[in-house]
Amino acid sequence: MRWVDIKEGFKEFLDEFKKEKTGIAGVILLIILVLVALTAPYTTIPNLPEKWRNSQYWEDNPKNVPPTWYNMFTSKKLVPQEIYYKDELKITQLNKNTTIIEVDYVLPENYYFGPQGIIVKNINVTLNSPYEVPTISVYLERPDGKTVPLLINKQLSSSLTVAVGRDSTISSNIYIWLVNVTEGREITMFEVPLETILISDMVAPLFAKVEPGMNVDDIIENPQPLPGTYKLILKIDNPAPDENKVIYDDIKVTFLGRTYGTMGTDYLGRDIWAGLIWGSRVSLTIGILVAVLSTIIGLIYGVTSAYLGGNADEFMMRINEIFASIPSLPILILIGATAGHITLWFIVVLLVIFGWMGIARIARSMALQIKEQTYIEAAKALGAGNGRIIFKHILPQLLPYAFSVIALSVPGAVIAEASLSFLGIGDPTAVTWGQILNAAQAQAATTKGYWWWVIPPGLGIAVVGLTFVLIGTALDKILNPRLRRL
Amino acid sequence: MGYLKYLAFRIVNAIIVLLIVTFIISALFVKVAEESNKSKMYEELMLWERSEGAKIKQSQGLEAFEQAKAAKQASLEEKYELNVPYWQKVYNKAVRTLKLDFGTTSMPIFGTNNVSDIIKVAVPRSILLFTTATIIVIILGIFLGVRAARHAGSVFDRALSIFALVTYSLPMWWTGMMFLLIFAYKLGWFPLSSMFDPQLTGWAHIKDVIWRLVLPVFTYVFVVFGGWAWTTRNIMIGTLQEDFIMAARAKGIPEHKIIYGHALRAAAPPIVTMIIFALLGSLGGAIISELVFNYPGMGRLYWVALQQNETNLLIGLTYFFTVLYLASVVLADMIYGFLDPRVKVGASARM
Repeated sequence: MRWVDIKEGFKEFLDEFKKEKTGIAGVILLIILVLVALTAPYTTIPNLPEKWRNSQYWEDNPKNVPPTWYNMFTSKKLVPQEIYYKDELKITQLNKNTTIIEVDYVLPENYYFGPQGIIVKNINVTLNSPYEVPTISVYLERPDGKTVPLLINKQLSSSLTVAVGRDSTISSNIYIWLVNVTEGREITMFEVPLETILISDMVAPLFAKVEPGMNVDDIIENPQPLPGTYKLILKIDNPAPDENKVIYDDIKVTFLGRTYGTMGTDYLGRDIWAGLIWGSRVSLTIGILVAVLSTIIGLIYGVTSAYLGGNADEFMMRINEIFASIPSLPILILIGATAGHITLWFIVVLLVIFGWMGIARIARSMALQIKEQTYIEAAKALGAGNGRIIFKHILPQLLPYAFSVIALSVPGAVIAEASLSFLGIGDPTAVTWGQILNAAQAQAATTKGYWWWVIPPGLGIAVVGLTFVLIGTALDKILNPRLRRL
Repeated sequence: MGYLKYLAFRIVNAIIVLLIVTFIISALFVKVAEESNKSKMYEELMLWERSEGAKIKQSQGLEAFEQAKAAKQASLEEKYELNVPYWQKVYNKAVRTLKLDFGTTSMPIFGTNNVSDIIKVAVPRSILLFTTATIIVIILGIFLGVRAARHAGSVFDRALSIFALVTYSLPMWWTGMMFLLIFAYKLGWFPLSSMFDPQLTGWAHIKDVIWRLVLPVFTYVFVVFGGWAWTTRNIMIGTLQEDFIMAARAKGIPEHKIIYGHALRAAAPPIVTMIIFALLGSLGGAIISELVFNYPGMGRLYWVALQQNETNLLIGLTYFFTVLYLASVVLADMIYGFLDPRVKVGASARM
């Protein structure tokens, strides 16, 4: 084959491909997917796979909340995430010992719930005199004039995180306040019903109507939102300001949203959107790699078997049958479960080992026809070796077929990888769609209605699959005219 | 070469493959079992050392303790079959498996320890779910595929093709999760778990089973029938272009008779092969789909066996799957050869 022929052939192929609308759609999808995968570190969080399993990293995110745009479709509007840094806070040095930090938070009209929680962190404390530790008190001033004491005189250290909604002491304080306002009596810490404050959402009542005479359980179960401007007040007492330094430069106050980002969060507060974008990398790499490798192996195997013929052919076909008759998914699960450390490479190898048989069979039947042609006889008569005939004369004839096979077997490989990850057998250092779905299944996301956690990863798998099916069928029509159907 | 000889060749071939696969499976699983048995043995030995061993050490001295420990270890090794060489064990296991003697599980599943009995409970359930679904898929797929082939290029044909391509790219278990989300969680039409209620009997039990089956069956049909219809359509379009169809049309035979009498009959061999593989494959269940729906069939059983490290059950199930696959290969070959006389000439001419 001369270079000019190849160029001509390629041009002809391109012209034909341009006529295939589905093929063009597939190519556009593929370009978008590749761009998304390549730019993942820049469009989302860099080095996400390292952070994905570290639950501490996601501490400042709300847990199990839908995406922000969900508000457009629901009458019960839910607040988004809001973060305040030093510049957005009002810090007043009351006197030498006391500092007051104030945060204004607005709960607009029509919003059904206040934030999921409030988190204050990154106050730097240098302790030189351990007996005069600075303390912090936290209050919430509500639009109806009532003030809720959330935390009183807690010892302050650099590692301290005030977490309204996650800290049981604070939840107890809220309960005590609720009883105080509604029933007018003071209760102690020990009278707080533990199950109630541990199981129910104790933040919603903070941002709800609380009037004397109301029932505490009613407020907790069915809070009526109270819109307006809230003020979170942090009062820090430092008895020895000269020895113990408190620095507010890094302070971060987060009002956890009831909605978050583009795709919501999962049970650890992980940003599902970032996971989705990063997941495309694994899906594309594994899908393409497995498809290419198993097609190449299958083609060479099938052609060799057909060419050698006789006993060698019989033997090779028996091996093929053995691989085909071992139930692959169970064995993959077994190997994965017993192998211990699983890397993406290992998964690729496993999927290739159990994925080349069908292609080998078809390649063999095609090669059997090619083998009978006269030019092969001629090459043999001229003394060409087996390897040369297989690689130079038979395989190139199967190449057009190979391209469509590669494209069409990508979806299978993508689904196989996702299935393994879904079963918890995947590379733990990677973020994949299967793993996101695994976590969703483990946390019973479907039975709790967390749709934003279940739908997008599967759609991702489907889009990758569809992309390659579209390209594959288009290639099939052009490159294998014998199989052309309308 | 005669049909019977061809058939005999295919069966002998399948049996040889089965023997080798059984051996490979045994080798794999015995290895897994060996490791877990080893750790179990050391655990037991440690326990003994701390209780009885300590007593012997105190009363009879260190030497007696070492002796007693060696004896204990030997007896434990025998108990866990660690004194038998690896290949001997593989051979034993393979032979027992071939004789359908799968042994017992360490924990009862479905109220029994016998592996054969456990499989006997699970198989009908998978048949109930997947075979029902497969039959619906076959009927729907062939009917719609033929229709699309008759009106190739029409809106219906295009819509069906797109639907087939989309569903081909969907993982079935994810679709199951979606349907659970929509029909079970949001609309509440169906139960969230397909595990049967063991308290019910008689008519109430049947109603319960049907109600729990609807969603998994619907999921399976939804994901699979598009592909069937598409393949049928492609085969039919190829057949409809052949000369004998033209001849039939020229003779003035009614169109539906041409389609169902002539074309579909000529296109039957590949379709029949597909049907056999689909029907036999349906006995095996689908691991992840059954997990998602919490359905107590073969697939979920396999998962439970893996989780609880029940090697005997795993071997039994894997063997069952392999036999099923090979049986469908032979059956498909048999019917293919029966329907299309060209095949047996092609496949066995070089024998």
